[in-house]
Amino acid sequence: MTALALSLVVPWAAGIVLVILDGRRRLVGWLAVAALAANLAALVVLAVSVLSDGQVAGTTGDWPAGVGITLRADALGVLFALLSSLALLAATIHEVLEGVRERVFPGLVLLLATGLTGVFLTGDVFNFYVFFELAMTASYVLATYGGARRELGGALVFTMVNLLGTFVFLLSVAGLYHVTGTLSMAEVAARMDGVEANAALLIAVGFFIAFSVKLGLFPFHFWLPTVYTATPPAVAAILSGGLANIGVYGVLRFGGELLPRELELAATAMIVIGCASIVYGGVLAVSRRTASEMLAYSAIGQVGYVLVAIGVGGPVGFGAAILYTVVNAFNKTLLFLTAGMRGALVGAAFAVGALSVAGVPPAAGFVGKLEMFRAASDSPALIVLLFLGGALSLVYVLQVYQYDFWRGERTGGRSGWPQQALIAVLALLVLAAGLWPEPLLALSQDAAAALPGRDR
Amino acid sequence: MRLVFALAASILFGTGAYLLLNRDLVRLVLGVVVISQSAVLTLIASGLTRGNAPIYPLPDGEISDPLSQAMALTAIVIGLAVTALLSVLILRVVLAYRTEELDEVGREEAEREARLERDDAAEHRAEEEAAR
Repeated sequence: MTALALSLVVPWAAGIVLVILDGRRRLVGWLAVAALAANLAALVVLAVSVLSDGQVAGTTGDWPAGVGITLRADALGVLFALLSSLALLAATIHEVLEGVRERVFPGLVLLLATGLTGVFLTGDVFNFYVFFELAMTASYVLATYGGARRELGGALVFTMVNLLGTFVFLLSVAGLYHVTGTLSMAEVAARMDGVEANAALLIAVGFFIAFSVKLGLFPFHFWLPTVYTATPPAVAAILSGGLANIGVYGVLRFGGELLPRELELAATAMIVIGCASIVYGGVLAVSRRTASEMLAYSAIGQVGYVLVAIGVGGPVGFGAAILYTVVNAFNKTLLFLTAGMRGALVGAAFAVGALSVAGVPPAAGFVGKLEMFRAASDSPALIVLLFLGGALSLVYVLQVYQYDFWRGERTGGRSGWPQQALIAVLALLVLAAGLWPEPLLALSQDAAAALPGRDR
Repeated sequence: MRLVFALAASILFGTGAYLLLNRDLVRLVLGVVVISQSAVLTLIASGLTRGNAPIYPLPDGEISDPLSQAMALTAIVIGLAVTALLSVLILRVVLAYRTEELDEVGREEAEREARLERDDAAEHRAEEEAAR
């Protein structure tokens, strides 16, 4: 419980203080990095205790259970919190090394980390909304980072679309409270069986739309390319490596735990939407020639895989979805950070990330793709489609690699050695996860076991 | 009572959605405000009960549902903060683009796309010339 409280309090308190200070100063930036590292350390301690002794839960303010807000950490929540925290830490170190350009940046990243940690570690539906809104509000401001016309235009689109998404989410929360009379996730899951099917389906569709907007799935993707190409690399890495995890987590938590019946009902629809995302993202990414544009469309395609795996469902499907999300978040953080850099190590790091996106061993993406094929092994059509998606991703990443590093179309000065060392470390992590995938596989199996789902 | 709430919330949502479809940037903010009110109304309607004030220790008899009120209050506060943020964002966009029309903001993005494609095509032609 101490580690759980610390992982929320440290970034929150530090964030409030650092928002006031001038973030362009080196010291403030490093303080933010230290607070993020402390958050990560608390989460690691929490993860160790969750994985060895099972779920950690507590009630805020020592209220009796049922009155206070419950915080709980299970394997799924801890894994996502760790992942997001790591992505944020890498992007922040990168930006501090490059030199922060706006005073609020370090504080906002910390507040975003608070929101993300809270979303993943809360056991209360309305509390989920509050942390969700905290994370989103911080990211609305982060999207304006840089402050030129393009960033502002992108931030406007991002804010409007995602605000609508959160209101749809809030409407669904109200509906869930109305039909079950409770906000605690465990209670909701227990009472959902007695709820009228149509009402439950309407609520489930609301949640799905809200999280699909965050994910940038195919029919809800229209805002994503504008935003990811307009924002600077560090912010794009934060949005795609950290914030987008909320979408996957939300679909898994609300679909797998709270509304399993509705998830089962929508399984085919989810697989179809996922496949549409894979094809759409892949085809459009092939037609792009700058790294950030290619990555933006690739992000749409990659979440399609996750949705297909969730649609397949069961321990295998959920496990594959979680593993793929972890690998994808690593890839996107690494590749977005390399987007604005030049140097000896940058090309190598980009190549590792590119191979990982395409699913070529020994990079981590191979393990993700392998699990996807395992989940889809029942249906030949799905396997063909996954193969097609993989082929498209191989084409688009290598095409951009060729433009940028062989023909030397990437302009700008050489990046400093510290930045290059940072992305080299990230690339080594991706390689290590591919060469020694057992811990990651075990983690994702544990996380999938936290969801009841349906049995297959 | 439920029907009244449902009608009011849906009319608010519809009005907000209509405002969002407008080109005027200020109306976008108004649309978001109206839609947030619709969400707040739905939250209140989700736990409609009449009774005594729910203050601990609980009095005898029925008490009114405190949770939906707490949720509505939280949603109002968050809505206020988001509205303030959105207003500032719109102000900065208006200052940067010197326009209050959404079309102008979109046009710039479309022009950039078109320019990139033209550059690509020109380069492609140059390559073909060189090959010949």
